Amino acid sequence: MVGADAGALALAQVVISGLLLGAVYALLAIGLNLIFGVMRVINIAHGELLMLGSYATFWLFTLWGVNPIVSLVLVLPAMFLLGALLQRTLVDRVVGQPLLISLLLTFGLSSFLIGVALNLWTANYRSVPAFSGSIVVGGLALSISRVIAFVVALAITLAVWYFLRTTRLGKAVRATSQNTEVALVCGIDVARIRLLAFGLGTAMAGAAGSLLAVIYTVYPEMGRTFLMKAFAIIVLGGLGSFGGAFVGALALGVAEALAAFAWNTQIAEAVAYAIFIGVLFVRPSGLFGVRE
Amino acid sequence: MAIKGDRRVAVVGLLAAGAILVGLPYVANAYVVTLVFLLLMWVTLASSWNLLSGYTGYVSFGHAGFFGVGAYTAAVLITAHRWEWWLGCLAAGLACVVLALILGWPALRLRGPYFAIALLGLSEVGRIVATVWEPVTRGGLGISLPPTGDLLADYYVMLLLAVLATALVYVIATSKTGLRLLAIREDETAAEVVGVPTTRYKLLAFTLSALFPGLAGGLYAWHTSYIDPATVFSVTISVRTIASAMFGGAGTVFGPVLGAVLLNLMAEVLWVRFPYLHPVLFGGLIMLIVLAMPGGVMAMLQKRGLLPRSRQL
Repeated sequence: MVGADAGALALAQVVISGLLLGAVYALLAIGLNLIFGVMRVINIAHGELLMLGSYATFWLFTLWGVNPIVSLVLVLPAMFLLGALLQRTLVDRVVGQPLLISLLLTFGLSSFLIGVALNLWTANYRSVPAFSGSIVVGGLALSISRVIAFVVALAITLAVWYFLRTTRLGKAVRATSQNTEVALVCGIDVARIRLLAFGLGTAMAGAAGSLLAVIYTVYPEMGRTFLMKAFAIIVLGGLGSFGGAFVGALALGVAEALAAFAWNTQIAEAVAYAIFIGVLFVRPSGLFGVRE
Repeated sequence: MAIKGDRRVAVVGLLAAGAILVGLPYVANAYVVTLVFLLLMWVTLASSWNLLSGYTGYVSFGHAGFFGVGAYTAAVLITAHRWEWWLGCLAAGLACVVLALILGWPALRLRGPYFAIALLGLSEVGRIVATVWEPVTRGGLGISLPPTGDLLADYYVMLLLAVLATALVYVIATSKTGLRLLAIREDETAAEVVGVPTTRYKLLAFTLSALFPGLAGGLYAWHTSYIDPATVFSVTISVRTIASAMFGGAGTVFGPVLGAVLLNLMAEVLWVRFPYLHPVLFGGLIMLIVLAMPGGVMAMLQKRGLLPRSRQL
């Protein structure tokens, strides 16, 4: 039954394509989760941090032909430092204050960054055509850009996971997320942990941006769409859960791919929101969430 | 409680402001009238947002959602079904009330950050529905309405909306209902323990707060004669509403009015003089407000003793 096989093959291809992209989404979502976990701040500017990473990779590639993967060597530390700077100058002032304050502050930052990007680099769509074509694995054609993005994203995610799980500093981060006051009492320098968390979250967002630049178009407002996806993922996986964010990201990637395949890309966009609203109304703590 | 003398000053001041607003179209040109029309729209939006988020503490990032629903409801009824413009606007308000009742029930069970981004998400869903439901909304093309022709009528209706919204906030704020809402804001669990039917009051605030953006959205659609999903469902509307209310002072009656006028006047000036820098300056302004004066102008005035700390304000 050739028809059925072809159908199954197409489906498998779509699902895998979604999984590949999902890993990149995971970078963004885990970073957002980390920031929220440690500081209880919802970083609305997170999408713009992704956008900055995308532009960094774009300019490095366009001006000096730097391979996007290699560009990460520059982008990661640069974004980390940017994150630390933003935390020290802006975010730290609103930690502990009512939610509205931090939401508005990060929204203002988001607007500001979009404006800066618009003025510096115009609204023109950019792309990084570094990897093209696909490789065939077991009858399935996989886009090379996505495969590379997947591998790198997975590597970074595993590195961060290892850091949080095994290293002393990582455990301090987790401790601060669980209970800031007790962490303080235990002698953890909470202020430094916040700096680290925001820097790390920013670096991950930047990395996601770098990888996405190879797959999607780059433009100043690109961050907003991805931010909503990150929200959907966090809500799905549960605010505060690393593993939940990762699984949620993969799930979203697959759901989007399937929706795009079955209907069109606009509906695929709506998938993130549908999941988001659906989960919030039905099970606010998410699949693996930590009930507050 | 305000001293009698202060009270008289306040009343005279309000009457004077009212007289100026009523008489404005007869002395000012169309640009000024349109500008004030929009300022009144922001006052309506900010006051109605304040009713929910300033008093119950449930921060909504989805005010634009109701604005968009209102705009589209009115636009579709006026163009495809040939309704009268004012009937379309009323229907827009009603649609938002019904929507708020339906959505409020599950949404208000969410706390803090979840509620905020849920409303943001719903507002975006509204945008997507408007973009995708082409047979009704004409999708990304938007809807063109017949030109209004009567700037005066539009202006006075918006003035009425702004006055009604603010009056509603005043009435509620100075009543027991207002106290109960404040109790919910300060400590919802404690409020429940004391016997406040929190769900009912939250739903009331949510529904009333959705009515005005619906009406204003419909009026906006009628007045500007063209709407599209990206404009009327824009998150910027929500943020600007919040920033206006916060700048003046969320949780006060006149704070949002003050904030809406000042902030949007400033935004208008910036937009006219620096169109390309607008998002940069606006974003920067919001950050500044949040860092420097989170309690808004009203809190600042109250702290310096220039204004009494009264629920009437």
